[in-house]
Amino acid sequence: MNHGPLIFLAAFIALAGSWFGVVLTPQLNVGQLQQTNTLNGALYPVARPGVAQQGLQVYRANGCVQCHSQQVGQTGTVFDVRVTEAGTNRVALNEALRKVKTGVSAPEAEQLLERLPLDVARFTNREDAEAAVKTLGVGGTKAHFLVVPVGPDMARGWGKRRSVAEDYLFDAPALPGGVRIGPDLANIGVRQPDINWHLRHLYAPRSEVKGSTMPSYPYLFEKRRAGREASPDALALTGKLAAEKGYEIVPTAEGKALAAYLVSLRSEAPLFISPISVASAAPAGGDTNAPAGGAGAATNAPATK
Amino acid sequence: MIATDTPNSSSLEAAGAAIGDPVAEVEASSRLPVLAMFGAGAFWLVISSVLGLISSIKFHSPDFLAGPAWLTYGRVRPAFVDSFLYGFCLQAGLAAGLWLVARLGRTALRPLPILAGAKLLNLGVILGVIGILQGDASGFDALNFPRYAAAMIFGGYVLIGVPAVLAFHRRAARTLFVSQWFLLAALFWFPWIYSTGSLLVVAFPLRGVAQPIIAWWYAANFQYVWMALVGLGIAFYLVPKVTGRELVSHNLALFTFWTLILFGSWTGIPRTAPVPAYLPAISTVTSVLSILTLVAVALAVWKTVDGNLGLLWGSRSLRFVAVGLACFLAAGVMNIVESLGTTGAITNFTWFTIARTHLLTYGFFAMTLFGAIYFVTPRVVGRELPFTKWVGVHFWLATLGMILGWAPLAVGGIVQGRKLLDPNAAFVDIAKSTLMFLRISTVGDLLMLAGHALLWINLGLLALGLARAACQGFVTEATAEVQPAGAKS
Amino acid sequence: MKVTTNQTAIMDVAEPKAVAGQVPVWLFVLGFVLLFWGMYYFDQRSGWFKTEVYAPYVSVADLQRYQPPTGGVDLGRGKAVFENVCALCHNPDGAGKPNQAPPLTGSEWVTGSPARIIRIPLAGLSGPIEVKGQQWNLSMPAMGAALSDEDLAATLTYMRQSWGNKASEVTPEMVKAIRTLLGNRSQPFTAAELLTVPEK
Repeated sequence: MNHGPLIFLAAFIALAGSWFGVVLTPQLNVGQLQQTNTLNGALYPVARPGVAQQGLQVYRANGCVQCHSQQVGQTGTVFDVRVTEAGTNRVALNEALRKVKTGVSAPEAEQLLERLPLDVARFTNREDAEAAVKTLGVGGTKAHFLVVPVGPDMARGWGKRRSVAEDYLFDAPALPGGVRIGPDLANIGVRQPDINWHLRHLYAPRSEVKGSTMPSYPYLFEKRRAGREASPDALALTGKLAAEKGYEIVPTAEGKALAAYLVSLRSEAPLFISPISVASAAPAGGDTNAPAGGAGAATNAPATK
Repeated sequence: MIATDTPNSSSLEAAGAAIGDPVAEVEASSRLPVLAMFGAGAFWLVISSVLGLISSIKFHSPDFLAGPAWLTYGRVRPAFVDSFLYGFCLQAGLAAGLWLVARLGRTALRPLPILAGAKLLNLGVILGVIGILQGDASGFDALNFPRYAAAMIFGGYVLIGVPAVLAFHRRAARTLFVSQWFLLAALFWFPWIYSTGSLLVVAFPLRGVAQPIIAWWYAANFQYVWMALVGLGIAFYLVPKVTGRELVSHNLALFTFWTLILFGSWTGIPRTAPVPAYLPAISTVTSVLSILTLVAVALAVWKTVDGNLGLLWGSRSLRFVAVGLACFLAAGVMNIVESLGTTGAITNFTWFTIARTHLLTYGFFAMTLFGAIYFVTPRVVGRELPFTKWVGVHFWLATLGMILGWAPLAVGGIVQGRKLLDPNAAFVDIAKSTLMFLRISTVGDLLMLAGHALLWINLGLLALGLARAACQGFVTEATAEVQPAGAKS
Repeated sequence: MKVTTNQTAIMDVAEPKAVAGQVPVWLFVLGFVLLFWGMYYFDQRSGWFKTEVYAPYVSVADLQRYQPPTGGVDLGRGKAVFENVCALCHNPDGAGKPNQAPPLTGSEWVTGSPARIIRIPLAGLSGPIEVKGQQWNLSMPAMGAALSDEDLAATLTYMRQSWGNKASEVTPEMVKAIRTLLGNRSQPFTAAELLTVPEK
């Protein structure tokens, strides 16, 4: 290789290849995505409210992405068979239950059937789950199966399904992050829906989470003279953190925006590309993407955040 | 592919006759740009190390300097990383590359546009660091500089890169040495990836998750491919040159070159990224295929010194390069560990990924650049550095500092990762279990900062001495007695 | 400034050379083995460039298997409603009638996005529309507006899963959501307008 143009050509081909594969192709598929429909027919995602959009810029400016990720992962999907209503033929149902859930005696099965809805068994195969539902459907028993994403992130309560491109559709910048020095924030609006908790946490993280190594953000707040009544914005701080008499701590516009952004972070809506069963009725079209309370399988115990 | 030498230049070169400009002239022409860029790079090295030390302390003592907005961890850390990458790595890398291109091609450089470019680049880095501390960071690793700073850095690069390519084109020695392929490819690589990253992610962001995809592509292409191209170019020159042996072999270097550019540029998408499955799959496959690059480099160096690795230890500047190459191999292995499923699930989102990036950029690239700086500077200036003993001290500070800085993070990352996979481990306990590792890494950062200070002072005093010598000549001439007219001097 | 004693060493002129050796064969063998593994890995894990496929799913067909069922749509009821309401124009076997109604069997509108097929009976459809490669230009009244959510869902599911059509269920919740979205709309849809409704 003694000629400059040959080297240039080699580098050009190599870089053009990866540019086509990793820059152009994603732009053509995920870069052109539009809003999609959830499995309940609602539009997803809905653009964040204005103050939350400003909050995203505060999130970016203060480098929150240096410690927090915003992406939920998933290692598999399982089917949970659930009985919601026992039919008329209790004996047959008991027998069916023991067929599906092997190793359970008749009296144990009877005990289980006392408390409905009952999660009977977990299958990795759809056909097995469908067969189980059919077996259990004796005498008018209502049984169905739920699609449940599983993985360490779900077990920790950080999300109900994996994050996909649509979850970041309107965000500029889209910051899925790469490290978890702090907990994942993709669904923090579901875990901590109280905006005041976020404000107090930003002001003094260790007052809300013992042992936290998150720095405090006092510059997102200001201390000012309290009026005759405390303003509704004032933080309810206690002990050493509370302001002295006659003063109150209120968040600045940036602080409020950041808290509003954090509260808007939720990505649990069921999508075709990230399926999950949603228990209750779908929200009306155009609503927020949070399913109405108690969505999904009951198997995930909410862990600490 | 056997090396085909054009008979003329090769026989002349073999005869030791001068091709092109005399070496002294080549060195003199590159003196000012190389010194200026090394010096400015050393300055940024110290600044970024201070910022890095501050952010390192904040890991385990979050209340340290927690008050003002511009000192919050989320701003100090990106300022540290980007000033290191662009202020030192890019600048010093270009300077070393320039020197090599001029020297290997036996052509003199034209310093003026290069100096202007260096000024523009440094201005861009200054504005970028200030911008990040003010809150203008873009949010993407390695691309955090705001658009005005990015534009200046790009402009500065063009002013430096174009003369370099022209010098290459003008070269008198037509037979190319291995390093020149790597450097030429690097000169071409950076503007494409940087403009793509800056335009599509920072300036005019694409929609949604396309932004982080391109940011990851850029980071891998800059921190792995570009740095490996420049670093290996330097290493493949210094190892045979300093040991006095011949590089084994031309074809092995060609193999390294091709596997690096073909596979390296597709790595970078993390395994669990919220993107369609084909992107992480491609990155995983090409990361594993990068084993070939690692093996080829190790083989080339091993065969060049004929198994006698002690030869790499002899020279002060070559030691840096040796450590750098070892770190390159280690970082490559860490990359494969992160990419594969079973191990990747543990190292995901942990300090391990941070440790790998620093091992690659600092452990490999910066150490190689230190070796290059200590090799090149005496040659362009024609005299030794003011404190030659400090070179050895710097070596130990850098090596020890790097091991103390990044090894605990790697181990801590594994501890952290295993706990993250366990849903019963409370998150605050995970943070607590990494604290000890973070404290050790702060000590490492302190050592590295000390080493950088030594480098900066050394270069600074050298520059001062040169300046004084130059001024001395001017002053002598200006204050000389005026000879009466008619008398011959 | 002290001048060095090894001036000659610094001003050395000879540049290193690279010998022309061979790359060891085992390196190439390793390369091929890794390439083979890489192709296998890509085949298994990549979803072959489909935008819809995210790990751990491996293909769109795989994704289909994991779509949640919804509260039991009664196909028998759907068939009954279809034969009473829709079959008059679309024919009991879904073949359609020329100049009266386009076919439903094999129709991309029926098996495509639920969002689109739900809107048609709720508000009606008029104007030009291409079905299975043929142009139709008729007007359909909102035959489904008077049906309950459960009935319409059952009917549409029956259409989507009969006569060789293979598509997912339509649930009463989906119908309700779209009905609420359309509100008081009385104007029939046009094909162009339907095409702007997102796919999934």
